Amino acid sequence: ANTDVLVGVKAELDAPESSQPNRGRLEFFVDCTANADPEFEGRGGEDLALGISSALSQAFSSSNCLDLCSLCVLPGQQVWLLYVDVLILECGGSLLDAVSLAVKAALMNTKIPAVTVNTTEEGSSEIEVSDDPYDVNNLEVSKVPCIVTLTRVGHQFVVDATKEEQACSIGHLSVAVTESGSLTAVRKTGSGSLHPESILDILQTAQEIGINLNQQLVEKVKLESSVKKDRRGFLT
Amino acid sequence: MAVEIRLTCEKPREEFQFERPKHLVTPGDIITSDTGFMRGHGTYVEEENLVASVAGIVERVNKLVSVRPLKTRYNGEIGDVVVGRITEVQQRRWKVETNSRLDSVLLLSSVNLPGGELRRKTAEDELAMRKYLAEGDPISAEVQSVFSDGSLSLHTRSLKYGKLSQGTLVLVSPSLIKRRKTHFHNLPCGARIILGNNGYIWISPTVDEDVNESTGGFIQNLELVPLTDRETVARLRNCILALARHRLLLYDTTILYSYEASLRHQCKDIMKPEVMLEISQLVRQRLEIEGL
Amino acid sequence: MPLDGKRICGPEGTKSPLLFIPKKQTNLLDDNRKRTDGRHAEDLRPLFLRLGINSQARGSAYIEMNRTKVVATVYGPREIQRRREFDMKGQLLCEFKFAPFSCKVRRQYQPDNEEKALSSVLRETLEPVVCLHKFPKSRVDIFVLVLENDGSALAAAITCAGAALVDAGIDMYDVVIGCGLRQDEATTLVDPVYEEEYRPEDNHQSGEHGNMVLGFMPLLQQVAALQCDGELQPKTVSAALGMLMESCYGIYSIVQECLTESLKNKLKKREKDVTKVIS
Repeated sequence: ANTDVLVGVKAELDAPESSQPNRGRLEFFVDCTANADPEFEGRGGEDLALGISSALSQAFSSSNCLDLCSLCVLPGQQVWLLYVDVLILECGGSLLDAVSLAVKAALMNTKIPAVTVNTTEEGSSEIEVSDDPYDVNNLEVSKVPCIVTLTRVGHQFVVDATKEEQACSIGHLSVAVTESGSLTAVRKTGSGSLHPESILDILQTAQEIGINLNQQLVEKVKLESSVKKDRRGFLT
Repeated sequence: MAVEIRLTCEKPREEFQFERPKHLVTPGDIITSDTGFMRGHGTYVEEENLVASVAGIVERVNKLVSVRPLKTRYNGEIGDVVVGRITEVQQRRWKVETNSRLDSVLLLSSVNLPGGELRRKTAEDELAMRKYLAEGDPISAEVQSVFSDGSLSLHTRSLKYGKLSQGTLVLVSPSLIKRRKTHFHNLPCGARIILGNNGYIWISPTVDEDVNESTGGFIQNLELVPLTDRETVARLRNCILALARHRLLLYDTTILYSYEASLRHQCKDIMKPEVMLEISQLVRQRLEIEGL
Repeated sequence: MPLDGKRICGPEGTKSPLLFIPKKQTNLLDDNRKRTDGRHAEDLRPLFLRLGINSQARGSAYIEMNRTKVVATVYGPREIQRRREFDMKGQLLCEFKFAPFSCKVRRQYQPDNEEKALSSVLRETLEPVVCLHKFPKSRVDIFVLVLENDGSALAAAITCAGAALVDAGIDMYDVVIGCGLRQDEATTLVDPVYEEEYRPEDNHQSGEHGNMVLGFMPLLQQVAALQCDGELQPKTVSAALGMLMESCYGIYSIVQECLTESLKNKLKKREKDVTKVIS
């Protein structure tokens, strides 16, 4: 079974949060469509969607992950608000890991229009957004984490678990790892418990895999934007 | 640990070298306007024309014309071997998921319970049904009869059928399973395989026949399976998926050939699309050479 | 900010007063290596725990760590009304709620996303602790209300919910203890208060920083919950985990005392009732 997700990033100008007046905002929305599983019909996928979006917010909670200060236009008044919309199209295991990879890839090719702020004579400010499609800024994504989940099957832990492996497992530990190897989030999910000793091992393994994963992803996304390809459709 | 990410544009394009099957139709296609034919599955009659109602291959048996779709749910026939999973325990019967339109039924009276073949099923057995087979248990069985609504009645009144112990279930399309005399195979590579006619395939490490028969299949051996055995099972699973993906019929010969063709690769690499293609091509060549 | 229909909004261009609070970067530790509330880095706040504060509920507990105050109540187990599939295991329903006045900013009555996420964290923490197979087809409801949040609310909620389950007489493998921690570069602060937990970050903070919460089963030595955010190295997390486990043992001794104390009181009360009936 495949895992298939689609991520889009949209930027809007909005007021900042009162606790962080000179920071841009980042919001995650996850939609589990009924295409992925008939059980998601109606409100059925809500719990899963909330779990994924809260895991993403947690992974991005450190201000270092994404330089949100660069998204500030007018401190206290106008900042960029990035909506990261995740669409789950097929789930065949390791959903959170796949979503985090897609989010990072989407953020890598997000382009924010250049903005100029003019102060009028009365002292009020005017914001002008460039409409030139080439007058754009890229986001700095070198510290955006990828999530690596280790799934406990019996007494062993596996990465990139399949749907079947997940069905056999009661405990998972998801670790968000940046390219430099820092952990930006750790969370235990599932109804089982873990031994402290194994947690230490997991963190080491997750870090190692996470660094690798980040490097590969960055490399491939760069390659993707450079190669010319004959496209027959969106998916091929 | 090595990580590999691929772009969609790097996917190998599948080239079809073999000739197309002759008579492919899509819904609405007129198969024949000759009125001398009988209408089979997947067809309907409109204005004296025989028209296809599913996409698939036209098959003709004497005067009967039917269209066999590539993707289908399982249409059971008496005597078929099926692999399924218990979904519900009901009054004197179990409901079994067997990839058919409706859940199949396994009556308490058509199973062998521990203690011998000619045992009377008592009221206590009725109460202890969940002890024998509970929700989620995989079983192998044979189709005993087909009800008028198309749902199947199964039986496990032979020692080769019953509850399955440790192994892997692989799901493929039922049209890929070749009908053979036997669907139970002890492969020389050290695994036992049950090719259910319903497209569910059970792969497990070889067990001693005696042990299995003396327990009537109701006692599961939950000892840890050694790593080499698990790897064989995993390899077989990946091979079967490779064959299914390239639409080769599944039976003992093709599975064994694909297993042998896969040995040059690591087990996990068989999941890569190009390796899948390679294995399927090797199997196809070998079949052609041997004229099978 | 989400709109609250029941409140009158200010005129357009209104700004939150919080914007005008000068952001001062206070040091976490003063010259004497003491924290803002006079504790040492690894000290816990004084803990007050009382069981059975709600006479209607099956079990309840109240925990107070200086200004962090949490109530938990347990109802059930009772039969699940609409069951989808047959399951021989019981289920837990957890609700984690901040009282509207518990935080600096007013919380809504409707559960927001943070509360929903914390509810599921709490459920996943309690599931390995409760012997779910002991009550098939039924569900235990656990409601946790944070009356005042002065840091480590989740940790307090875990301890409190665990104590409430004990009070309710639900079968459990072990007691569960929650403890929080704040890592700021080389400084590790156990059981952080609000200012330490939500410390305004420097824009380009270079060193490690982050919050951790551990839910621990002290006798079985099992981790029931682990949450961490910020930016940390595996080594730091390991070290912090060890420290948190130490603290959990510390909290455990207090909680255990409270639990036995409450048992004694209940027994005494029962004896009194019995003697009353006899006389």
